[in-house]
Amino acid sequence: MTELSARTWDVIVIGTGMGGGTAGRALAEAGLSVLFVEKGPAGYRAEETPLNPGMADPVARQLRGFWPGAVAATVNGVESRFFAPLGSGVGGSSVFYAATLERPEPHDLDEVADKPHPTGGWPVSHATMAPWLAKAEAMYAVSGEPDPLTGAGTDSLRPVPPLDPGEAAMMDRMRASGLHPYRLHAALRHVDGCRDCLGFKCPLPCKMDGRSAGVEPALATGRAALLDCCEVTRIHGNAGAVSHLEALHRGQPVTLRARAYVLAGGALASPRLLLASANADWPEGCANASGQVGRNLMFHLNEMLAIWPARGGPAFAGPTKAIGFRDLYYAEGARFGMVQAMGIAAREGEILHYLRMMLARSALLRRVPGLGQLARLPAALAARLLGEAQIFVGLLEDLPYPENRVTWAPGDGDTIRLDYRFRPEVLARRKRFRRLIGRALRGQRHLFLTRWPELNFGHPCGTLRFGADPATSVLDADCRAHGIANLYVADGSFMPTSMGVNPSLTIAANALRVADGIVTRMQGGAHG
Amino acid sequence: MGDAVMHARLREGVAVVTGAGAGLGRALALELAAQGVQVAAIGRDPVALEALAAEGGGRIHPVVADVADGGQVRAAFARIAASLGAVTLLINNAAVYPRRDLLEDGAEGIMATVAVNLGGVTHCSLAALEGMVATGFGRIVNVSSFADVAPLPASAGYAVSKGAVRVLTRAMVADLGDRFPGIVIGDWMPGMLATRMGLAEGLDPAQAACWGVRLALWHDRSLNGAVFEMDREILPPRSLKRRMLERLTGRRTVARRL
Repeated sequence: MTELSARTWDVIVIGTGMGGGTAGRALAEAGLSVLFVEKGPAGYRAEETPLNPGMADPVARQLRGFWPGAVAATVNGVESRFFAPLGSGVGGSSVFYAATLERPEPHDLDEVADKPHPTGGWPVSHATMAPWLAKAEAMYAVSGEPDPLTGAGTDSLRPVPPLDPGEAAMMDRMRASGLHPYRLHAALRHVDGCRDCLGFKCPLPCKMDGRSAGVEPALATGRAALLDCCEVTRIHGNAGAVSHLEALHRGQPVTLRARAYVLAGGALASPRLLLASANADWPEGCANASGQVGRNLMFHLNEMLAIWPARGGPAFAGPTKAIGFRDLYYAEGARFGMVQAMGIAAREGEILHYLRMMLARSALLRRVPGLGQLARLPAALAARLLGEAQIFVGLLEDLPYPENRVTWAPGDGDTIRLDYRFRPEVLARRKRFRRLIGRALRGQRHLFLTRWPELNFGHPCGTLRFGADPATSVLDADCRAHGIANLYVADGSFMPTSMGVNPSLTIAANALRVADGIVTRMQGGAHG
Repeated sequence: MGDAVMHARLREGVAVVTGAGAGLGRALALELAAQGVQVAAIGRDPVALEALAAEGGGRIHPVVADVADGGQVRAAFARIAASLGAVTLLINNAAVYPRRDLLEDGAEGIMATVAVNLGGVTHCSLAALEGMVATGFGRIVNVSSFADVAPLPASAGYAVSKGAVRVLTRAMVADLGDRFPGIVIGDWMPGMLATRMGLAEGLDPAQAACWGVRLALWHDRSLNGAVFEMDREILPPRSLKRRMLERLTGRRTVARRL
């Protein structure tokens, strides 16, 4: 520990998820010395811990690699507290993720002739990002089939194991109704004993995540070190540069120094740290001259539905996250997103969960004690009547609005506070998306499980967006904080828009790009 | 990986039986050895352990240690790992049952019993877990009793410590069950046995050991936290709601048999 805090590292990476893990590996492989600082524990490699939103004790949560505190979300003016699917351990949230690494489409980043971009386009074009996406796909051993509509992934994807007959039949039926389903792009190496590990830590060198594809190979270079159970509490510096980090390592204060700093605590935690770092030079918080830190928070809106196998056709062998389609990604002149299997079989437990969520949201019903327990009965009956379905989700793109944001106040501790309002435009788009999905799946037994607009708290982004104008963005095109020469951001908070796909691949690709910029600058003699 | 593979992994691994010098522990060690498993037999009496090893067909390895002593247990497990390999199965069997009046036994007497019966399970489980969490694979069976349900006179130390072992089993499952579902931990009540600790008219420990070994070599993740009495599972009491649900859906949880 003392030797880690005594030296000046080339780069300190705060956070070890998809962004931090990937960036740190690239930096270490380029020859730089790298210290990963992770709030949560490294844990045991053989763990198979699933995310558990029902586990409330902060100590138990933290040692499992869950974010220890609750999210206090004020949605449309109503506050609720819950445990979001957020990791806080080596690998961050990605050790629990479903490893769906899908490419964004050009209109996600660019202003395209017939598809106007909500922000006029990212400061980095899709064409510039494309080679980084391919590099990330290689690093994460992504397997799958190219999207038949766009051909995306044609050259870069590894082959996938065969589908079970139930899923193959489902793909056939989707094709027969004019859709273009394909095998989702997954960061799974499918080694012997692979169990897909959707929603839980993979005990094998198989699921590729911020730990297995980032931190572990970085440590193997011999140039990187990991300081786990260490929470950075404050970034110190003056107007032009970060000087050092103040942190708590297992409760003991430590000071950490580097030539450059990469912030990758995730789109909910990174802005909190910047806001908590206000000083005389940064009265509104570190890197917050624009006042944009924490704003433009976006999630995807999840539209969940169950699809049953055809009557008399082959049943599903089990839940997999195998199939998706992009036919509704952009339709009727509007931005929606892709539809994909969630890797959940709709059995009693899952249906129960949705019924309880519905009850929890109903202002009247949630006051009736014991109703959540009673939901067991209809859930069990539904599972029995309907048999086993696959649950699919339509990811609806969310758009950036400054009033949707993460806030921080002294004393918040590990409670993440956020404010979010549904604009009428997103509610209208959601209705259209549902209608389009219903129409696309006509002829297949399906049931929408989402009754109200549902935010995907596992896909936060946008809270430190990059842009050309320091007045309206936090980071420049290289994801370096405007006006702070040695502070970079490599997590999902850089994204100016939320795209119509899972954010992980884009976060990893951008982290590689950010790391490359740091390496180039350091080789050019910058950063001391 | 299927159950069959896991069973093979347990059979080919290293088993530790505590309290192996006599009674049920001795019978468990012999039965495991008869099944082809390498057994580290922990006990306090070197003579008894050597005699046991002589009957074990080369598969029983005496390890002298007092389970109440954490240092001795750690050293014993280190020796076992070095000479036999990683421990994959632990049967926490060692226990004492002094029949003494509360007033006569005193606080020291009660706590000395707790040190063996609860301390032994704690020391040995944690020593075994050190290796098991590295691979995510293992099996721990705690030999338990119903002594805590309605304590008999002159059995305070025993009743308290054996009850605490059942709580410890549940606490271990609470801490480890979700993180390491492949480390399967549960309780086994062998029944009343014709041993030094039991009754003259009790069961032949060799018969009980057949059940105990079958349970110990059964590696199924759903056995985490399961309680078996002799050769059958004891299901937890069901709530009214649970029973209604089972009635409505026609699905009942059925107790398993060995």
